[in-house]
Amino acid sequence: MSTEIKTDGDVEFDIKQLDNPAVYKYYRKFDMPIILILLFLIGLSVMLHYSLTAGDWDYWIDWRDRRFWPLVTPISLLILTGGFTYSIWARFRLPITATAVTLMLALFSWISRYYNFHVFTGFPLSFTFPSTYIGLGILLDATLVMTRSLLLTSVFGGILYGALIFPLNWPLFAAHFQPIEYKGILLSVADLMGYEYIRTTTPEYLRIIEESTLRTFGGSVTPLTAVFAGFVSTFVYGGFLMVGALIDKHAKSIRRLV
Amino acid sequence: MFNKLLERAGVWFVLPLIVAMFSAEVLAHGERAQLASMRMRTMHWFDFQVSATTVKVGDIVTMRGTFSPSEHWPEQLPNISDTGFLNVGVPGPAFIRIDSSVNGVPMIRSTAFHAGKVYEYEVVLRARLPGRYHLHPLINVKDAGTLVGKGAWLEVVAAEDGQPFVNNATTMLGDVIDLETHGLQNIINWHLVWIVMGVAWLVFWLARKQLFIPRFILVRHLKEDANSLITKKDFVVAGIFYVVTLGIILGGYLWAENKYPITIPLQTGKVVVEAPDIPTGGLDINVDSAQYKLAGRSLTIQTTMANNSEHPLHLAEFMTANIRFLNSDVALSTAYEDEEMVSMDGLTASVNVIAPGQTVEVELVAEDALWEKYRMTGMIHDPDSRFAGVLFYYDDEGNRYFQELGGPILPRFFD
Repeated sequence: MSTEIKTDGDVEFDIKQLDNPAVYKYYRKFDMPIILILLFLIGLSVMLHYSLTAGDWDYWIDWRDRRFWPLVTPISLLILTGGFTYSIWARFRLPITATAVTLMLALFSWISRYYNFHVFTGFPLSFTFPSTYIGLGILLDATLVMTRSLLLTSVFGGILYGALIFPLNWPLFAAHFQPIEYKGILLSVADLMGYEYIRTTTPEYLRIIEESTLRTFGGSVTPLTAVFAGFVSTFVYGGFLMVGALIDKHAKSIRRLV
Repeated sequence: MFNKLLERAGVWFVLPLIVAMFSAEVLAHGERAQLASMRMRTMHWFDFQVSATTVKVGDIVTMRGTFSPSEHWPEQLPNISDTGFLNVGVPGPAFIRIDSSVNGVPMIRSTAFHAGKVYEYEVVLRARLPGRYHLHPLINVKDAGTLVGKGAWLEVVAAEDGQPFVNNATTMLGDVIDLETHGLQNIINWHLVWIVMGVAWLVFWLARKQLFIPRFILVRHLKEDANSLITKKDFVVAGIFYVVTLGIILGGYLWAENKYPITIPLQTGKVVVEAPDIPTGGLDINVDSAQYKLAGRSLTIQTTMANNSEHPLHLAEFMTANIRFLNSDVALSTAYEDEEMVSMDGLTASVNVIAPGQTVEVELVAEDALWEKYRMTGMIHDPDSRFAGVLFYYDDEGNRYFQELGGPILPRFFD
């Protein structure tokens, strides 16, 4: 193995320098700023992207159904995860992106729900709490470490990411799906919250949630959605890894443009 | 120096005062923002009542009234006969909605409303947050937007005991839950578990001696062998995280299934509301022409009316876009205390009473500065110059009838 590499500026670099404590100390100074900038950038990006593509499903508990929420959410999250993962893996071999995306989303979401939804607007947090996806991020990153392959991660990790989104959140949600009789009508606790806590511009019909249909598979909505979400997640993650690769490949041109 | 300070202080004092003076108007009447012709031709709201205008947190307020979708509903708008929802216009959940109904049908879900029908609504609210609010009935129309009814100001003061607002409900399993905090501690606990897991994963990968720059150099140097940066320890730790994560997910799911064995999916689906036709009382009205005089701020409608009933009919009121023009010569329509958007003598009719069997040409003039105040003069700028409104009239026994008038409208600019 050669111990010398050429940098872009054609300056010779001896890899043994990495063992030099003085150089190492110098490099360490960059770590914390990079970590903070990276996490902040990931947090802002995912917050904006997720709010625009799947916001309402995560804002209100009466939107988190068995059919659309478990499908829309992984698709939305894996778009950015795929894009970021390629660069960070290709440049640093650090399997942190999926966890960072989900962790930063959780932190930023709690800040937003507390201040925007609870303090400023007055909604109870029990109605607007965020879902959690950190477990899915860890699974995806851990799969990447164990397979060391983006392709295998998109197949096996992608399936888990989509399929486990519902069971991961069920301990948070289940209490809100208990039945209530209200004025002679069957409602879940979440439906009742959606009715009682007035949202002027979010009428009942606006919810994109499961409706009764003739095309069912023995009424098994949750497992079927999980399988389909896993299948779709594989392709979304794989597809956006490719997008990440494409961006990475043209990074120089993009830098010039910027 | 002192004068300048005084001057600046004056500006800082006067400016907020001016803002405050006008902000009340702005806050109250967001409904003015919609095009005049859209307000006239979509929904007619009337008979609005609110049970109290000053309440304490926890008190009940009932809002009721009537609405009728316009038969002149613009073709280009998605129609209310598809899907609509009775809602409340208030800034945030200052109130909770305890009950709402239209013609006696609970309005928890969406429904369809039909032109030319009469719908009586009732919304029961419980005050939740102290403040001063302008309360409106609303109809959200799928794919079209929101139609705002006439509203009223409500003052909500803090409860005397100062206790936090409680919103109890009983599940079908007999548990009494407070919707304000239901399941919240459990949710926070689960989030903390996952945040700790996520932070642990990131710390394991980021708390390293050789991080970004050394790894970047090594990856470039190692090329195809860059995967060798993932050590055996990394592999083992990732495997542990993998198994623990799967274990927590499975354990959490089983815990939830055990704790909440009976759950249901979110409920949805439309309901049907039966509604009577508009009571026209045997009066046939044909609109011959209509003009809006800009300078006079008046709408003049030329009509031919035929009374086919057995009673004389008294033309009492014209209403459009929530603005009421009352005929003081007839004085049968009344306004409630502090009612906004009412012109007490704004309607003039060339014939006030139509005798039984009589067919007569009637000129109706609705004239008031309210046209200007509520931005109705903007109708001359609308791309679809048509109007609609409701004419109310009474028989000798005091029975009220009404029907919708509408058609093309021409502006007059100079007289």
